[in-house]
Amino acid sequence: MGSAVPLQLHSIGRGAMRLSISRAYLAAPHRVRPSRSICSSSSKPRIPLFLRPPNYSATLTDLQKWHDWAKTLSSSVGSSFVDADNGPDSALLHRELKWLVEDAVEDKSISSELRTNSEQNHEHNLRNVRLKVGIEELYRLWKQRIHERRPFQYIVGCEHWRDLILSVEGVLIPRPETEVLVDLVAEVVSDNEALREGFWVDLGTGSGAIAIAICRVLEGRGRVIATDLSPTALTVAGYNVQRYGLQELIELRQGSWYKPLRDVVGKLSGIISNPPYIPSDNIVGLQAEVGKHEPRVALDGGTNGMDELIHLCDEAAVMLKPGGFFAFETNGEDQSKYLVKYVEDNHRGRLCDLKIVSDFAGIPRFITGFLNEPL
Amino acid sequence: MSSFALGKRLCNRVYALFRNSNHRGVLISRRRLFTELQCSSATPQNYVLFNCGVSDFKNISGFPFSTLRLFSTQVAIEPSTADGLTVEGIIGNRWTILEESESDWRSHAAAIAQSIHLIKKRLQWKKLMMRLELLSVELNKADLWDDPAHAGKISREHGSIMGKIKEMKAFERELLEHIDMIKLAREENDAELESESLNALLSMRRNSKEKELEALLAGENDSCSCYIEVQAGAGGTESMDWAAMVMQMYIMWAQRHGFKVTVMEEMPGEIAGIKRATIKLDGEYAFGYAKAEVGVHRLVRISPFDSNKRRHTSFAAVAVIPISGDASTHVQINEADLRIERFRSGGAGGQSVNTTDSAVRIVHIPTGITATCQNERSQHQNKASAMAVLQSRLNQLEMARQAQMNAQHTQSLSDITWGNQIRSYVLHPYQMVKDLRTNYEVSDPDSVLEGDLDSFILNYLSTSLDKD
Ligand SMILES: C[S@@+](CC[C@H](N)C(=O)[O-])C[C@H]1O[C@@H](n2cnc3c(N)ncnc32)[C@H](O)[C@@H]1O
Repeated sequence: MGSAVPLQLHSIGRGAMRLSISRAYLAAPHRVRPSRSICSSSSKPRIPLFLRPPNYSATLTDLQKWHDWAKTLSSSVGSSFVDADNGPDSALLHRELKWLVEDAVEDKSISSELRTNSEQNHEHNLRNVRLKVGIEELYRLWKQRIHERRPFQYIVGCEHWRDLILSVEGVLIPRPETEVLVDLVAEVVSDNEALREGFWVDLGTGSGAIAIAICRVLEGRGRVIATDLSPTALTVAGYNVQRYGLQELIELRQGSWYKPLRDVVGKLSGIISNPPYIPSDNIVGLQAEVGKHEPRVALDGGTNGMDELIHLCDEAAVMLKPGGFFAFETNGEDQSKYLVKYVEDNHRGRLCDLKIVSDFAGIPRFITGFLNEPL
Repeated sequence: MSSFALGKRLCNRVYALFRNSNHRGVLISRRRLFTELQCSSATPQNYVLFNCGVSDFKNISGFPFSTLRLFSTQVAIEPSTADGLTVEGIIGNRWTILEESESDWRSHAAAIAQSIHLIKKRLQWKKLMMRLELLSVELNKADLWDDPAHAGKISREHGSIMGKIKEMKAFERELLEHIDMIKLAREENDAELESESLNALLSMRRNSKEKELEALLAGENDSCSCYIEVQAGAGGTESMDWAAMVMQMYIMWAQRHGFKVTVMEEMPGEIAGIKRATIKLDGEYAFGYAKAEVGVHRLVRISPFDSNKRRHTSFAAVAVIPISGDASTHVQINEADLRIERFRSGGAGGQSVNTTDSAVRIVHIPTGITATCQNERSQHQNKASAMAVLQSRLNQLEMARQAQMNAQHTQSLSDITWGNQIRSYVLHPYQMVKDLRTNYEVSDPDSVLEGDLDSFILNYLSTSLDKD
């Protein structure tokens, strides 16, 4: 991701300040293991494009020229990405281009002008449009999108996920499928209000997406601990948590899976995770946007993709409080079925009420269950 | 000059200052002002003539139940001038209507009276009065509030009809008052008063043209925002291209009107155009205008997709759905009745796939009604928008069901679904757009396809309301 440097120049100011506030918080109060502070993290996320100040400008003509160029470039893709690795087609790229414009301009009405622009008068076209990024940078960004297959979400620096807009710099881009995990939590806590209280954990939090969304579902009554092995992830998650003002309710801890959670063994109301689950051998054949750009540590689930999932299930039996809930995302039908069988064989009588839940594409995607309550 | 006339003149002066502000508000304050000025000196006849406005007003703001009977009788009073001339009477006199620039009070008065007549027709005046009577009876029932939702709906409708009637009555009275003034001014040789009153008539005349237009959009949901759906007819790419042209026409039309346009879903054709698409128009009276477009639109042209350059006929169907805030048609949706599907998907999904496409389709299993949204950037938001579309569709179904029970409204609502062929666009061998309902036509299809639709819409709305 070599594009970081020039952009970073313009992200000083407010963003940096926010970040230092979030860091201050992260080093502070209820941290149980202060020695594992994420302050050691070296990088900080760039501010998502749409949040940057409009410090640049270009004439409408120049913007139109760029837009026409970018459109032609996306059209030239046709279905070649689809055929190669199930990547985006031109229609999808056109829509991404529209969103890029929306994020990059200060005055959103420009984006409809660019699309309908029939020869308007000269004066009109010489009008200056305020931009959040220079026009040369726009050319560079769209080249990266098409030639390097850099994910759109990295281009604009954010992903719209549920009702959140999250910075995703250098972390796994949260998937639409994963939104359902939050609905599952919402359902469980509305059936059992008591579960709203206590500790919930999001293991391998990445951008913090799940942690932030479930924290909102808990309506301020529960606490969320989000963990990740990757310092980058924790920095990005910290930024997002801060942006949603949840630093009092979400605590970030660095470490492998349950390791940073020794103080809450047997006390958890819920465990949610979307751990890496792609079998190692499949990584090379992945869609370019994923395989070439997203962090491998977020994707690679070992030989059959189940290393982490099995570990998460085994420990859930120890970490949950009686009646506590767990929900994990999997690679699909095979993994879901295998896990259910594995849990039935190895944790019979402890983990119960096992269910497989499908995503909106109809793929069995999640496994959920509870820790048995003693009679 | 009598003290009555003096009061009235003063009143006119003050009134003139406010002429351009909110019309109804001004009328009321003017009457209030006038009563204060003339209270001690009014003759009994004048008192009745000018004071009913004030008592009407008090009734609106007061608690409705005790005064209901009063209402119906009051609105039935036919306003007249001091010498007994009524609006109907003016029309009966058949005074010649001249250009606005001609300073002839009879001409102005006749033009205004005609507008009043037309507006009443557009508001379906007789039906309105009958409906008011019916609602008054309902409102007077002792058990009304046993069903608060129903009671609320009834009293809201009553209030809205009452408002329309009062506004019209006030307008009529204003006309007659000015006529009184002119006659008085002539008797008293008061040229200033005469020309003032003449000017007042002229501005009423202009104002009445606006009111005519407003009366076209007095339907129940007319002021609402709406969805417009366009669906390609049979005939493959040819029709899909036409559907896209029709959609583009509405987008451009809507932008001219200052409506906010959002593309909710768009199912592109394989080669060109769209199979179907839904847009949302946010703005006042979006539904009132757009509802005139419901039906099948036909295109005749040399096909750009036919290498033999033959003439083709294509069809696209247009549906318009109001986004109504009316709670009584709000259908409660049961989550368990829904099936939510990823719209375009394939492959493993999850971590293996990066896509910005998170379109979803929601199927309401009991009715088979579906809604799709793909313009939002997250699946969650697409789902919420699709739910809103689904909600409106189900509400519309409920509205149609209620309308069937309530014969009063059947006519206005029954055709707000996919309708019959309404318009023909011929690009070859000659150029013409013709509305088959009104026979209105223009010979410049390009401008129509660029969104110049208002004359078609207004023509349709007025013909459908003005026919006897
Ligand atoms: C598939 S991503 C999920 C990110 C986020 N929860 C989401 O759904 O978008 C997996 C995450 O697990 C983290 N991870 C990988 N191995 C881990 C480990 N041993 N302990 C904790 N987190 C780990 C990765 O850094 C990555 O952020």
